[in-house]
Amino acid sequence: MFSGPPPSDYFAIFGIEKKLALDVEDLQRRFYANSREWHPDRHARAGAAQLAYAEAASAMLNDAWRVLRDPVARAEYVLKGEGFNISEQRGRDVPPELLEEVFDLNMALEEARNGDAAAKAEVAIALAKFERILSEIDSARDGIFVAYDAAPSREALGELRSLLNRRKYLQNLVRDARAALV
Amino acid sequence: MAYSDKVVDHYNNPRNVGSMDKARTDVGTGMVGAPECGDVMKLQIQVNTDTGIIEDAKFKTFGCGSAIASSSLATEWLKGKTVDEALDIKNTDIVNELSLPPVKIHCSVLAEDAIKAAINDYRAKQGAPVAAETVAH
Repeated sequence: MFSGPPPSDYFAIFGIEKKLALDVEDLQRRFYANSREWHPDRHARAGAAQLAYAEAASAMLNDAWRVLRDPVARAEYVLKGEGFNISEQRGRDVPPELLEEVFDLNMALEEARNGDAAAKAEVAIALAKFERILSEIDSARDGIFVAYDAAPSREALGELRSLLNRRKYLQNLVRDARAALV
Repeated sequence: MAYSDKVVDHYNNPRNVGSMDKARTDVGTGMVGAPECGDVMKLQIQVNTDTGIIEDAKFKTFGCGSAIASSSLATEWLKGKTVDEALDIKNTDIVNELSLPPVKIHCSVLAEDAIKAAINDYRAKQGAPVAAETVAH
């Protein structure tokens, strides 16, 4: 059982099937159980091979837990595994109509940072709007998760890829807008 | 990472910052964004409709020094060129001129995309067919 390296696949190390829609509570229970089982202290006297396995498995489990618990990180992991490269996309996933609003928000942010009170109100309105769009994106993401798990397809992953790009873009903006309003 | 002198110069003294009335038929507006870094770039050209020569170019970029320098340089290059000549500006020209490091190449790509988007917008307003390679965006 302790020969060779532990599974390098994040789903395999948890002993679960690859799924985009995961029950995070169940994942957490598995994380605690597996962490106890593979804690290096429990294998300290069991021989070098077993101890090395326990150490590697514990480290892998921690990495896997950090990624799989988060829906966005989990989706990125699955996308990467399926060959969807994150750095290949350019300015194509933000639709032009949203770009205008993004640009206007950036203008308002710049003015707000320069002490323009009216601009601050504009930022607040835009922030509420972008937060709403973000939560719509998250609902759409969860929908793709379920659809992909039922019937995996490249199309669904492509859709997910562009949705996550869009989300990342808006997330950066929302972060900046929140900072400007403090 | 150190910026090249040219990037610093464009960043400290950006050329042609501003905006034009995007409703004008002789003005083309290109708005592009880079999801990875949140950069957003607006680049506008004003074209003499008789000669096809770009008489003025303006930009406003929210982003890093390289993105600002790339778009600033692009507006300098655009002025005095015909629309067709402007389409020949490649991101690699910008990379070379500004000595952009590999991690900043996407900034020059953004500037090239902005030029193409502005020209497409102008041509669409003039009723001309848009460049095929950017139609599919």
